[in-house]
Amino acid sequence: MSREILRVAGLTCRFGGLMAVDGLDLTLRAGDLAGLIGPNGAGKTTVFNLLTGRVGATEGAVSFQGQAVLGLKSHQINRLGMGRTFQNIRLFGELSVLSNVLVGFHGRLEASFLSAIFRLPAYRREERRVLARAAELLELVGLQDLARERAGSLAYGQQRLLEIARALATGPSLLLLDEPAAGMNPQETANLAGLVRRLRDDMGLTVLLIEHDMRFVMSLCEHITVLDYGKVIARGTPEEVRGDPAVIQAYLGAGLELGQGEAVHA
Amino acid sequence: MDGTQFLQQIINGLTLGSLYALIAIGYTMVYGILRLINFAHGDVLMVGCYLAWFGAVQFGLPWWAALVGSMALTALLGVLIDQGAYRPLRTAPRISALITAIGVSFFLENLGLVIFGGRPKAFERPEIFNQLYQIGELRVLSHSVWVPIITALVLAGLLWMIYRTRLGMAMRALSRDLVTVQLMGIDTNRVVAITFAIGSALAAAGGIFWAMKYPQINPLMGVLPGLKAFVAAVLGGIGNVVGAVLGGLVLGFCEIMLVALWPEMAGYRDALAFVLLIGFLLFRPTGILGQELPS
Amino acid sequence: MSLREIFSPGPLPPAHLTRRRDFWLSLMGIMLLAGLLMGVERLAGGYWVHMTCLAGIYLVLASGYNLVNGVTGQFSLAPNAFVACGAYVTSLLTMAPAEKALNFILEPLVWPLSVIHLPLGLALVIAGLVTALMAFGMGFTVFRVRGDYLAIVTLGLGEVIRVVANNAQGVTNGPLGLKGIPHLTNNLWWTWGLAVVALFVLTRLAKSSYGLALKAIREDEGAAESMGINVFWHKMLAFTTDAFLEGMAGGLLAQLITTISPSLFTFFLTFNLLIIIVVGGLGSMTGAALAALLITFGGEWLRVVEEPMSLLGLSVPGIPGMRMVIFSLLLMACMIFMRRGLLGKSEFSWRWLLAVLSRRGPRP
Repeated sequence: MSREILRVAGLTCRFGGLMAVDGLDLTLRAGDLAGLIGPNGAGKTTVFNLLTGRVGATEGAVSFQGQAVLGLKSHQINRLGMGRTFQNIRLFGELSVLSNVLVGFHGRLEASFLSAIFRLPAYRREERRVLARAAELLELVGLQDLARERAGSLAYGQQRLLEIARALATGPSLLLLDEPAAGMNPQETANLAGLVRRLRDDMGLTVLLIEHDMRFVMSLCEHITVLDYGKVIARGTPEEVRGDPAVIQAYLGAGLELGQGEAVHA
Repeated sequence: MDGTQFLQQIINGLTLGSLYALIAIGYTMVYGILRLINFAHGDVLMVGCYLAWFGAVQFGLPWWAALVGSMALTALLGVLIDQGAYRPLRTAPRISALITAIGVSFFLENLGLVIFGGRPKAFERPEIFNQLYQIGELRVLSHSVWVPIITALVLAGLLWMIYRTRLGMAMRALSRDLVTVQLMGIDTNRVVAITFAIGSALAAAGGIFWAMKYPQINPLMGVLPGLKAFVAAVLGGIGNVVGAVLGGLVLGFCEIMLVALWPEMAGYRDALAFVLLIGFLLFRPTGILGQELPS
Repeated sequence: MSLREIFSPGPLPPAHLTRRRDFWLSLMGIMLLAGLLMGVERLAGGYWVHMTCLAGIYLVLASGYNLVNGVTGQFSLAPNAFVACGAYVTSLLTMAPAEKALNFILEPLVWPLSVIHLPLGLALVIAGLVTALMAFGMGFTVFRVRGDYLAIVTLGLGEVIRVVANNAQGVTNGPLGLKGIPHLTNNLWWTWGLAVVALFVLTRLAKSSYGLALKAIREDEGAAESMGINVFWHKMLAFTTDAFLEGMAGGLLAQLITTISPSLFTFFLTFNLLIIIVVGGLGSMTGAALAALLITFGGEWLRVVEEPMSLLGLSVPGIPGMRMVIFSLLLMACMIFMRRGLLGKSEFSWRWLLAVLSRRGPRP
């Protein structure tokens, strides 16, 4: 069994009277490929926002790589090695595709402000290295030919891929993907599944993803946690979750069919 | 400071605060609906004063006719500014509208300088506002009595409109969510125009009573009261009419008391509003009445 | 529609391929500029020297301001405070003690300012540092808020600084201001020297990794933070860098007009800079520089500094204020019809110019 990378205990977030997340427990081991699913409004994105410090928790504890992260700022958590994408794509639209990836590298830039302005050798070495890494990442997600396009002008699916490349640039050990397949066609979704698997198998990343496309989640993830109204209602392998009456009830209640794994809505 | 002096300062604070309140109402109504700091609000006030001055001096109108006429014309000006300068930018980033508002502000100020000249004009106080009451040591100008009364009446009327009429309901809905209200078939542009009209008319009224206090007018007279009224609106919780009045009163009292308690600090009086503003934004960003700060 | 879009020659070659050529072109550009300045100095009258200096100062002020407002997207309205700080510090450090004693008649100047007498270069650096320090202090309150609240807070702070300048009699001489600030005979070279250095630093900064981070903050602050960027310190970085440059430029402005008082540093000054960066295209350094020249010369509207023109025996005709009416209309029109300004968010580059020039003949 590999080492533990993320431990969430009793994580709770209340917005006024609404329990967005209610006592969530979750453990990820290095190299896990896990899914977080649940009907709309179940609190999945809030979990990501809590983990990455975008929203403050009401109660609970989160330890990432053995370090308590609740209360840290988003950028600090990112630098500990937690990268993420956003459900509602949040690229730097006016910047080029390449620049979006380069921004991801900036948090770990070692060269000082002055050495960047005067392009001292240290900065230039780092710049060369970062440019080469950025090119690799763009190639990895298949956007190498669009490097100089404006990020905002890319097609929807490409923007999702760019978000992944940008998150990878920050050097994460845990990658949180928020609905990475939303808005993609079946071909793109299949490619994405291959990409996510490669990230885990070849780059050794741990991945936690939120997704509504059941076929995608069920075929890709090894562990799945199901949320409903902020509470965990089931967890386990895809097979276990698929057959769980509570899960079926939650999805049927939300007007969804789980059976064949076809996403009824995006 | 003895009791009489203290009472005197209370009255001064109430008058000044009421003036800020009248001006702040227009700021807060427009911000509530459009999330736009109407930078030109103070300069609209200035135009209102000049209109009243023309009415009274050039055309010899009685003071109340000049006041009402000026309020009507200023309301029209407010609507024109909104339709001409702000409406094309409804969907643009909010900063674009703010820059345009700064442009409108400078346009009005400089047009005022070109047309009216930089020299202040005397603004006569009508007889009814010029009575001096003396009660022992206490000296009170009737102007100081009327201004708070008028502000209270205006506030009552506005609250009635906001909470008891269809128009008010539309305004409240609009301040929650402009797009949705548009989808529900309400003519949002009409509501926005009426908001500008009311805000500008009140600014004219506030400006005219402001001018009677000093009693003179000049093309740059709107800048400081305008800025301070905005601060008052933020202090009270922006978007909230009662808050604007409260904020105005708080600011008025604080300014008067600063000068009364520490006369040597009088020079810093104009900085006080901004110090209060910064303090509020840091420690209670929702203002006195706790309106949610729009993100 | 911006100029960049109207003269869009399509994709440009990558920057690193033409770096050497562009360096020589830039060097030639600087030499051409030096030649022009020499021409102005030798051939044109005092009025033109004055205007050219002013254009250089505005170039520095506007491109520094653009770093905060355009590149980082933080709508500050405080540059008048920075310029004031730089102007006062430089003047107090460079004026002869006897001259200072003549100025401070109501209340003597506080020690040690009363005896210090420094050369201009050193005084300018100190002015830049002091202004940057002031910005650093302001930043802690300013960057707690965003958007239009930030605009109002910075406007308020600018106003507070002006009120302080008006009241701190023993340091600033209050509303009387400072008179007899040493007039620089070779101000042209100082200002344009600073302009070239500032533009070099700022364009380099904008293109560097730090510049990308600032632009990322402008585009989406939350996303930038989630990508490991310390948003607060980067905003602070932009704010203090801007303050440093504006403080130095403010110092040179004081040396140019030789008389300063708090009334010179009102919101009016900020408004002028705002027009420049909006016309140039919020976010474009070279756009801001270009617009600074266009507006200084094209409009000749600098009523802020009317005094030196009468000092030099020149009277300027026209209705005071009419130009400002036109300029405020220009600002509104720019926002409504041409929101991207001249250069949009892009920078001028030799690659672009050469591509435009080489695209002869009919369009495909």
